Amino acid sequence: MTVIAKLTTVELKLLAREPGSIFTILIPLFILIVFGSSISPGDTVLLPMTLAIAVGLVGLYQVPTTLATYRERGILRRLSTTPVRPGSLLGVQLILQFMLALTACGLLLAVASTVLGAHVPSQVVPLAAAFLLGTAAMFAIGLLIAAVAANGRTANGVGVMLYFPMAYLAGLMQPAEMMPLILARIGEFTPLGAFRESLQDVWAGASPGLLPLGVMAAYAVVVSLAAAKFFRWE
Amino acid sequence: MAVIDVTDLTKRYADHTVLNGISFSVEEGEIFGLLGPNGTGKTTTVECVEGLRRADGGSIRVLGLDPIRDGRQLRERIGVQLQHTQLPENIKVWEALDLYASFYAQPRDWRELLEEWGLADKRNARFGKLSGGQKQRLFIALALVGNPRVAFLDELTTGLDPQARRATWELIKKVRASGVTVVLVSHFMDEVEELCDRVAVFDRGRIIATGTPEQLIDGVDADHQMRFTLMATTDPVALLSGLPGVSGVTRDGSKVTVTGRGDFATAVTSALARNLIPVADLRIDKRTLDDAFLALTGRSFNL
Repeated sequence: MTVIAKLTTVELKLLAREPGSIFTILIPLFILIVFGSSISPGDTVLLPMTLAIAVGLVGLYQVPTTLATYRERGILRRLSTTPVRPGSLLGVQLILQFMLALTACGLLLAVASTVLGAHVPSQVVPLAAAFLLGTAAMFAIGLLIAAVAANGRTANGVGVMLYFPMAYLAGLMQPAEMMPLILARIGEFTPLGAFRESLQDVWAGASPGLLPLGVMAAYAVVVSLAAAKFFRWE
Repeated sequence: MAVIDVTDLTKRYADHTVLNGISFSVEEGEIFGLLGPNGTGKTTTVECVEGLRRADGGSIRVLGLDPIRDGRQLRERIGVQLQHTQLPENIKVWEALDLYASFYAQPRDWRELLEEWGLADKRNARFGKLSGGQKQRLFIALALVGNPRVAFLDELTTGLDPQARRATWELIKKVRASGVTVVLVSHFMDEVEELCDRVAVFDRGRIIATGTPEQLIDGVDADHQMRFTLMATTDPVALLSGLPGVSGVTRDGSKVTVTGRGDFATAVTSALARNLIPVADLRIDKRTLDDAFLALTGRSFNL
């Protein structure tokens, strides 16, 4: 087995043993089921909200906490004394976290379309584009937290502190239509808000707006550059 | 042939000089100790040798390779145990060994290492559930799993109880017996004295002495001490004070302490025997590396 395959297998086992990753799958599912029991078949709000919650949780909790803990425990440093570069571990982790986000979202779509009978859009390309950009933007923020946080606990705390205001501005606590206009407007320029909005566009049968797509792309690029600049291996 | 050759190594952080002209060489198959109080540059030195840090000046050759330029090749041939590193809490012992073995072109069979290092019954235990001694043994096993020519062990017995330390020392001797050169970083005198074939003594970013522990101890220019308990009422102070080599005699009740140099102990014991003065608990204090360090720096090791 190649090194990367072995590293992926071990990291996947570790991820599965981590209660946090189970919660990031269960929390949005729980919200979907509680609020979805009375969902109308044509609803375009609830499913995009829960998808955004799932991606937000992975990006703001899982990514920074895992990576900052690896650095804090000296695992990246120990790896750099072997023939394997610590960057490989980082790459494997990001792929697995992406798979986690994908699994959480896949599960939401499956449960919503089968059990709840909710509408799932058939336009795969715009859906995939919104998902990829939204995940990239949220992961970039997670990476920046991991880059600057001193240890795993701090990274976790910063993730929690950022998650709630971001989720509120994104219209994940209450629908954006019911929020004060100015806050809803600000929310459009946050990565999570732009993600929710572009998903809602797809659910409504339209193409995602260029503004939210652009907002997500901008966060993904600018924030991950900052993360790369500040990242320390030890 | 020297396995490691370090010449005139320097390292500065901002205006602070951490290494100030470090030179030493390590021969094949020996346990070489870097000894000194914390913060004297030992760890920085090995980290430069391992290629983890870049030195500001000087040259380093490990197995004929430059740690920075030939890093990839060098990392195939060395094994490292770092201070303050952990593994993920939930990784199992066998998974860690199996994973690290996969990093190297010609690894050792990790099942053998499990046996050798007494971890066979912990095979399926998670890292977070291991005791301090078990974790330490796992780290050493991980340092050896790549079948290295040189193993670097940094403060390997810190935090272990005396029994676990002794057990670890025996295992390190086995590592040397298997032909692996060992570089040991330690601030424990007893550990270095017990294990190392040669030692470099660090003080404030310099090496102040290099040699076998015996050479360093013998180089100390200071008095020895012998102590005994009197079993009779005869006062031996006057008798012993005049003996050749004796520099001082003190008596506290039945307890007598004699200081001196050279062969003074033989003179003292034969004088006691000649005068039929019975004594008990006769002890000659062995000089240690502690005394050597004190003599070299004028400071006690622990200050």
